[in-house]
Amino acid sequence: MIRTEELLLNVGPQHPSTHGVFRIIVKLDGEIITEANPVMGYLHRGTEKLAENLSYTQIIPYTDRMDYVSAMTNNYVLVHTVEKLLGLEVPERAEFLRLIVMELQRIASHLVWWGTYLLDIGAMSPFLYAFRDREMIINLFNELCGARLTYNYMRVGGVKWDAPEGWLDKVRDFVPYMRKKVDEYDDLVSGNEIFLARIKGIGRYDAETAINLGLSGANLRCTGVKWDLRKDQPYSLYERFEFDVPVGKNGDCYDRYVIRLEEIRQSLRILEQALEQFPEEGEIMGKVPRVIRAPEGEVYAGIESPRGEIGCYIVSRGKDKPYRLKFRRPSFVNLQILPKLLVGESMTNLITILGGVDIVVGEVDC
Amino acid sequence: MTGWLPGPITWQSFTLYFLVSVAFLLVILGYVTYAIYFERKVIGWMQGRHGPNRVGPLGLLQTVADVAKLLIKEDTIPKKAQRDLFILAPVISFVPSFVVLATIPFTETLYFADLNVGILYYVALSSISTIGIILGGWASNNKYALLGGMRSAAQMISYEIPLVISVVGVIMLSGSLQLSAIVEGQSGGFWNWNFLPQIIGFIVFIVAAVSELNRTPFDLPEAESELVAGYHVEYSGFRFAFFMLAEYVYVFAIASLTTVLFLGGWHPPFPFLDFIPGILWFLLKFSFVVFFLFWLRATFPRVRVDQLMGLGWKVLLPLSLVNIFITAIVYEIFFR
Amino acid sequence: MKGLMKGLGVTFKNMTQKKVTYRYPDVPLEMPDRFRGIQYLDPDKCIVCNQCARICPTDCITLTGKPNPDPEKRVKLVDTFDINFEICILCDFCTEVCPTEAIVMTNNFELATYSRDELYKDKDWLFANNQNIRKENNSALPKGGAKKDA
Repeated sequence: MIRTEELLLNVGPQHPSTHGVFRIIVKLDGEIITEANPVMGYLHRGTEKLAENLSYTQIIPYTDRMDYVSAMTNNYVLVHTVEKLLGLEVPERAEFLRLIVMELQRIASHLVWWGTYLLDIGAMSPFLYAFRDREMIINLFNELCGARLTYNYMRVGGVKWDAPEGWLDKVRDFVPYMRKKVDEYDDLVSGNEIFLARIKGIGRYDAETAINLGLSGANLRCTGVKWDLRKDQPYSLYERFEFDVPVGKNGDCYDRYVIRLEEIRQSLRILEQALEQFPEEGEIMGKVPRVIRAPEGEVYAGIESPRGEIGCYIVSRGKDKPYRLKFRRPSFVNLQILPKLLVGESMTNLITILGGVDIVVGEVDC
Repeated sequence: MTGWLPGPITWQSFTLYFLVSVAFLLVILGYVTYAIYFERKVIGWMQGRHGPNRVGPLGLLQTVADVAKLLIKEDTIPKKAQRDLFILAPVISFVPSFVVLATIPFTETLYFADLNVGILYYVALSSISTIGIILGGWASNNKYALLGGMRSAAQMISYEIPLVISVVGVIMLSGSLQLSAIVEGQSGGFWNWNFLPQIIGFIVFIVAAVSELNRTPFDLPEAESELVAGYHVEYSGFRFAFFMLAEYVYVFAIASLTTVLFLGGWHPPFPFLDFIPGILWFLLKFSFVVFFLFWLRATFPRVRVDQLMGLGWKVLLPLSLVNIFITAIVYEIFFR
Repeated sequence: MKGLMKGLGVTFKNMTQKKVTYRYPDVPLEMPDRFRGIQYLDPDKCIVCNQCARICPTDCITLTGKPNPDPEKRVKLVDTFDINFEICILCDFCTEVCPTEAIVMTNNFELATYSRDELYKDKDWLFANNQNIRKENNSALPKGGAKKDA
């Protein structure tokens, strides 16, 4: 036997592929990982604690900064929960606008994931192509709500802005464009033998493990569990639209990749239908009191964010501020499987697996 | 230029050698400057960007500015690094890359040393660079650098073998190890160039060559997303510049070698295009190979270490051996 | 091999396509009208109602008022009005609640300075920031809001 020495390696918090300030302490035997310890909290800002001293409206911009790649869904989960607590009716037009921006956001978020994942694996161009196309969505959002990343678009009871003139047509033009681009992505990467060899069979787990660890989103669906809150616990107007929930069967990185690309296509389908059914006229703000005082009670609502089930739990004592607010952040929960997956893998696969989980550190640390 | 080398070394001839080498080094530096510029431009275009365009007209001085920045940077040597080796490593890795260029014939008359074992000389010296990289990785006393250095050692050793063996077919066809003789054997139109009869050898050579160069998709030693920067993670300033320089000089060397071995060197693709000087043809083919390398870099993801080893030993090596046998059989039956 | 070739084809095709980069520092970026940039303050319109300071999620606005020199008018005049752009998140709430549109968003967004102290902007600076003022303010007000008839 050759005597080998164990190597303790700090991956992160400053490392190009940990997607921010995430850190894993790994023990390496050669290049094989024998132990992995994720360390988080470098981006902790105490959103939940801060929220206890903020009125419900004031919390909305804070949710923008949680999962900064998918701020619209975060906005939605908060206002949706508060509306549930208040029993508020949201005008149809507002709900349509919310749904459209959420689906656009899902595409944008998956594009970011796709680009950065390929960058992790070593391909440079996909990253820039993804950001080129994401830019179109960002510009649409910029026109709609005046910001490129921290939208602060939704309000309790509706949305802040109505669609500006011609905006819907721009979205209409965007759908076929994006469809063409997704096919191009397939050409560029999905058939690439090097890429397939890198991700097929890597980071495998079965449905039982996934459910026991509370995974959701593509991380759960890759094992073959058909669980999508848009279908299974319909919120917003998702019941009105036809779309498929792509599932994998092997539970490896490849399945997660395929599912996310397919979700972009399904989102485009939803967008198309939503644009068709978009009501011509209507209010964009429901009847909301100027100061929102939620009745006493507790409420939880979960929605399907691009990363999985994002939930918001509010305890209200009848004040205009929540007594306690808790976000179920999908990135954080999905991350639990990481130490389990990493043992026995090589350094290279660490990056492949970590990227495949699709975390946003702002959301992990919240 | 052939006349000088065998003669006795006098102060006069030494001065001459020295001046010619310095001139060549300057040419190489000029090439590296614009290869980097060209690479960034090409990759930029492929990604919907303009590439460098701020420094100088069309950004032509971008690399000059970058190098100037590297040269005036503080030279840091980590406290716990193995000082001597740390300093030595970039030198060891750069010198062979420049020395191998001596045997490459650019045209019939423009070459430095027309050794009769040209290919062997190239292969033997180029593997010395690996030592520089391992030393650099080890002497930095950094875990990422160490991993990068180890990877590079494994990779370069495993790919040296298919690289050499894939060339054997070419040597068999031309019956010489002398590079100028190999080019001579490919005169008279592109159908005589070695890449057609030696298609397997050509492909193996290209793959192995990209791997030797540590470029995408085989850029594992410096795999940014895993090892941060690999073996040169602790290097800065002009030592880092030397590693970069060595890398790009090797691009020059490999592209020239490919041109010479497989693409007919200075010969035009059709005999009637003879009036265009050979150096232009050489440069054209050379640029195409360089462009191809950049194109690969813009497109492909990185191969994993174990797959890289598998590819080298289980695919490329057998293929290149098969290539030798096929070449031998075909040659025996049809050409003798 | 087929997948590799296809990939090469895609990158090659993209080489000739139009570049999508902005010439930003040379050519200023045109932001859409709704863009939430640095606020513009019209001190004459401000009635010192303190709503903006109260709604601000990061508490970056401080303002004080002084009594109106004209004794017939009861509305106070703004004395100091500071926004701390170190912590302002440009969330648009202050302009949303302002009953007189004294504070509105502009399309300007360049705030970089060499010192953090310079990010503390006062009334005069905000008043001087009068370029590219947002035309459309507040399309969706909560019904029954104070702003309706202002």
